[in-house]
Amino acid sequence: MTENPPQPEQGSTYKAIAEILVSKFQVEENTLTPQTLLTELGIDSLSLMEFVFAVEDAFNIRIPEERLDPREAGIDLQKLANVIDEFILSTKK
Amino acid sequence: MSEPVLISGYGWVSPLGSSSAGRSKETDSGIAGALRSQDFDTNLFNGYSAVHSRAIDLPGQPTAYVPVASCDFDHSLISSVSKVPLDRGAAMALSAAKDALVNAGLASQTTETGFELSVSGIDPTRVGVFWGSGMAGAFSFDQTAEQIYQHGKRVRPTSVVTIMPNSAAAELALMVKAQGACMTYACACASSSVAMGEALRALRAGWLDLALVGGSEAMLTPGVLASWNALRVLAPVKDSQSNLSQACRPFSQDRNGFALGEGAGAFVLERQSQAIRRGVKSKISLSGYATNCDATHMTLPDTSGQVRAMHAALRDANLQASDIGYVNAHATATSAGDLAEVRSVSEVLGAQVPISSTKAQFGHMLGAAGAMEMVASIKALEHQTLPPNANLSLETVDTEFKLNFVASKGVKAHQPLRHVLSNSFAFGGTNAVLIASNID
Repeated sequence: MTENPPQPEQGSTYKAIAEILVSKFQVEENTLTPQTLLTELGIDSLSLMEFVFAVEDAFNIRIPEERLDPREAGIDLQKLANVIDEFILSTKK
Repeated sequence: MSEPVLISGYGWVSPLGSSSAGRSKETDSGIAGALRSQDFDTNLFNGYSAVHSRAIDLPGQPTAYVPVASCDFDHSLISSVSKVPLDRGAAMALSAAKDALVNAGLASQTTETGFELSVSGIDPTRVGVFWGSGMAGAFSFDQTAEQIYQHGKRVRPTSVVTIMPNSAAAELALMVKAQGACMTYACACASSSVAMGEALRALRAGWLDLALVGGSEAMLTPGVLASWNALRVLAPVKDSQSNLSQACRPFSQDRNGFALGEGAGAFVLERQSQAIRRGVKSKISLSGYATNCDATHMTLPDTSGQVRAMHAALRDANLQASDIGYVNAHATATSAGDLAEVRSVSEVLGAQVPISSTKAQFGHMLGAAGAMEMVASIKALEHQTLPPNANLSLETVDTEFKLNFVASKGVKAHQPLRHVLSNSFAFGGTNAVLIASNID
């Protein structure tokens, strides 16, 4: 076990989830910023579930709903990235 | 007599090529179906067979080889309005339907894969979708089961809406914003013929002005192939190297089963008055339809049921038996199936009408078979050329069968071809007969 697990590269998690949105959900890349709300992605509730599922698969994690419920209002891509980073770090401790 | 219903556009995805080169990319997979769309007519009339072998490797079972006719089609390239993942069959449905809409002048192809609908002036509440599939969702269902039971993985959140049988119809309705009836028919091999026929009835009755109709099937996955193989209706395959272009031989003395196919056929059906208003140039109508059930056996066909269906379709089209210039037979190269159909066609249409089965070429596309065979029948009307019996010759034809079989390559019609009849006879006993006519 590494005593000091490597910190995720700044912004790399956001970039990875943005890439999923572009490649799998046909979201225009130039419409995305870290502050883009999940509700502003132009994808419906079904696709939102598939998006979170795809993100979880990409990072090989399962985000508990108490950590992040994508149906809640006010969640942006940066918050999603932060939850992923925190979750990865917490599971490595 | 009710107003004619025109086939104002059509499109397809098939093992012989698709109607859109833009959505059919060449691959190095070596499959016999890796063909570009412009080859389709040539392949059809030259008697090209797309049948090849596929191995079924299931845990705990010896490898089995089965005959299939697959499409050069990457379903991951097809996106839907709903943006949920598409079943392979639904993706084929969308691709074929887009081509049909472009062909009907209801949409434009903006880029290789771009697509823009232009249905202004048409009341969306009078636009319907009538779709058929025998095992809709089978591709995704089989993959989902594999994920759970073989790999111990979780299920995708949208598995239900991807697998549900009406998924393709719902995606089509979303695509064209059709707010009229949205129906899905599952009548095994007759599914898409029934879908087309029921749409014809809805249009004639005045319930709708326009309908997007047809069928799709994608079932070439291990579990489904193993199920068909267990039923012992597939032509036998020795190994992966077997030459299978002659594997499926409808009407032959030594016929011994079919290959499973996949694909989709889509049509825009339109009341003639509206088609004229839009400036549609098509002169082909869907002129007759009938369906019934043998109600005698789950799989064994019954000649009397088929006879009743063909008579009813002729009455529906207001035609005599002698008006029919070509029959696209259901014939799947099974011993009992071909025999029953030869008897029913002889009884209703006589021995002189040219007849062929295109199953040797496309494989058996099950729920999409009726739609694809209507494509072949329309091609016959357009080219005045009869689709062939790809693997049949005077030497190999069943000596009991006294019909006018088209040769192994397509031949020009001897007299103007005005009316064609297509049979679809299904497991479960459903019979469906469609007639298309040149109304020039």
